[in-house]
Amino acid sequence: MADQQKEPGILRELFNTFFAKHWPVWVGGVTLGLLNILLFTVKSPWGASGGINNWGENIFKLFGISAFENAAPTSTSLYGVLCLVLILGSFAGALFSKEFALRIPPKGELLKGFIGGALMAIGATLGLGCTIGSFFSGVPALSGGAIIFTIGLFAGTILALKYLLWEMEKWPGMSSGKSFTFFAASKGKGNWQIWLGWIVSIGTFILAYKVAGTNGVLAWFIISGLLMGLICQRSRFCIVKAFRDPFMTGESDGSVGVMAGLLITLIGFTAIKFFGIGAGETSIRAREMTWVFSQFWLRGLIGGFIFGLGMTVAGGCAVGTLWRVGEGQVKLWMAALGFLLISPISKHYIVPPIVDMLPHTMKFKNYLPDYFGYAGAVLIVLLIILVWYVFVKWNERTGKFSAF
Amino acid sequence: MEIKETLDCKGLSCPMPMMKLAKAIKGLSSGEVLEMLGTDPGTKSDLPKWCEKTGNTIVEEGEVESGVFRFLIQKK
Repeated sequence: MADQQKEPGILRELFNTFFAKHWPVWVGGVTLGLLNILLFTVKSPWGASGGINNWGENIFKLFGISAFENAAPTSTSLYGVLCLVLILGSFAGALFSKEFALRIPPKGELLKGFIGGALMAIGATLGLGCTIGSFFSGVPALSGGAIIFTIGLFAGTILALKYLLWEMEKWPGMSSGKSFTFFAASKGKGNWQIWLGWIVSIGTFILAYKVAGTNGVLAWFIISGLLMGLICQRSRFCIVKAFRDPFMTGESDGSVGVMAGLLITLIGFTAIKFFGIGAGETSIRAREMTWVFSQFWLRGLIGGFIFGLGMTVAGGCAVGTLWRVGEGQVKLWMAALGFLLISPISKHYIVPPIVDMLPHTMKFKNYLPDYFGYAGAVLIVLLIILVWYVFVKWNERTGKFSAF
Repeated sequence: MEIKETLDCKGLSCPMPMMKLAKAIKGLSSGEVLEMLGTDPGTKSDLPKWCEKTGNTIVEEGEVESGVFRFLIQKK
């Protein structure tokens, strides 16, 4: 009897463990890394910009623009679906923790969201990837181009942060003015959010169950995307934060969380590539070259730089934008809109003439183990993470590179 | 407790609230109190971490209306 009385308390405690407080970022990094390995095992690693581009192409197709008539319907696009369910996962996470609200910022911020999204779209289509595909997945995939893309990202982030600091001093009107908040919950009220959270989660599981019979891989992507969105929202996993905060407030938690995820992913991806796990009918070489894009070096560098500018102005990278969309941050709705509208245009009309001008030596697939062997390639990535770790921790203590 | 300045960050998302907060605190003298209003859930975990690091003190934390939180921060 006593046990029966205790039971609801224990369940509530369990629920609160997940949804009363934010999770440490490293918990997010590690679990996202594990899910990323799962995605690669069943098909291919995590990515975000391709899915958003798919949405955009379908919108243009809807308007009858002939260049996009061959766009794959989102329902059959693994990454188009992954991005959609990621928003649902974040929506569920925000609802469970009663953190969902429509947050409409001042007009200047909406404009920055759209411009940031558009810049991310140009960066992603030029540099072949975003902070997920060409960084969080690309670096553990031992792609030399991803490392170069990441250098570009850093440079873009630092420059855009300087702009934001300048804007705050000289142009404060951009980030102030009328704002609105709707549907917010508080401690005593708004329990509808928790119920809606259950409906969204269970509904997505049912969807995965329904497609499992005909498309097992898609079912895995749906479940993983839902969990990824929820994890991102609860741990506030944000790659802009990881790159930016050491230069802003000097905080290192966001960076260390991302590093934890990179380490886990590195182990899994290396094993998959080395042993050709899940190669199926494709060759082991094709498995090795998965998520190694023809972006080495200038293509990745410029693309990463433009992407870094965009994500910092928008306040969310591709995935950071998606999960904040689910949380109700309207600035990031504008970023997603800018991204999905500009991405197909950039991919079809802006990028091809630029890429044609580049010689092959500036846009080829660079697979690190081809040059350094597997041990050497893994060591290089480990060394980069170590140097980054030492830098952010030292900087946190000394504040040498922090703006405040 | 006298509130020296109020910083309205309602509707703003990361990184604007933390940037504005760091700047506003910089402009205060030691012991003065800043009131901050905001709606970004991220600030609720970023702000205490930042205060711990910088030595500023959160003297009060609460909610003024649904979804709008309020922090009173005393400069070190």
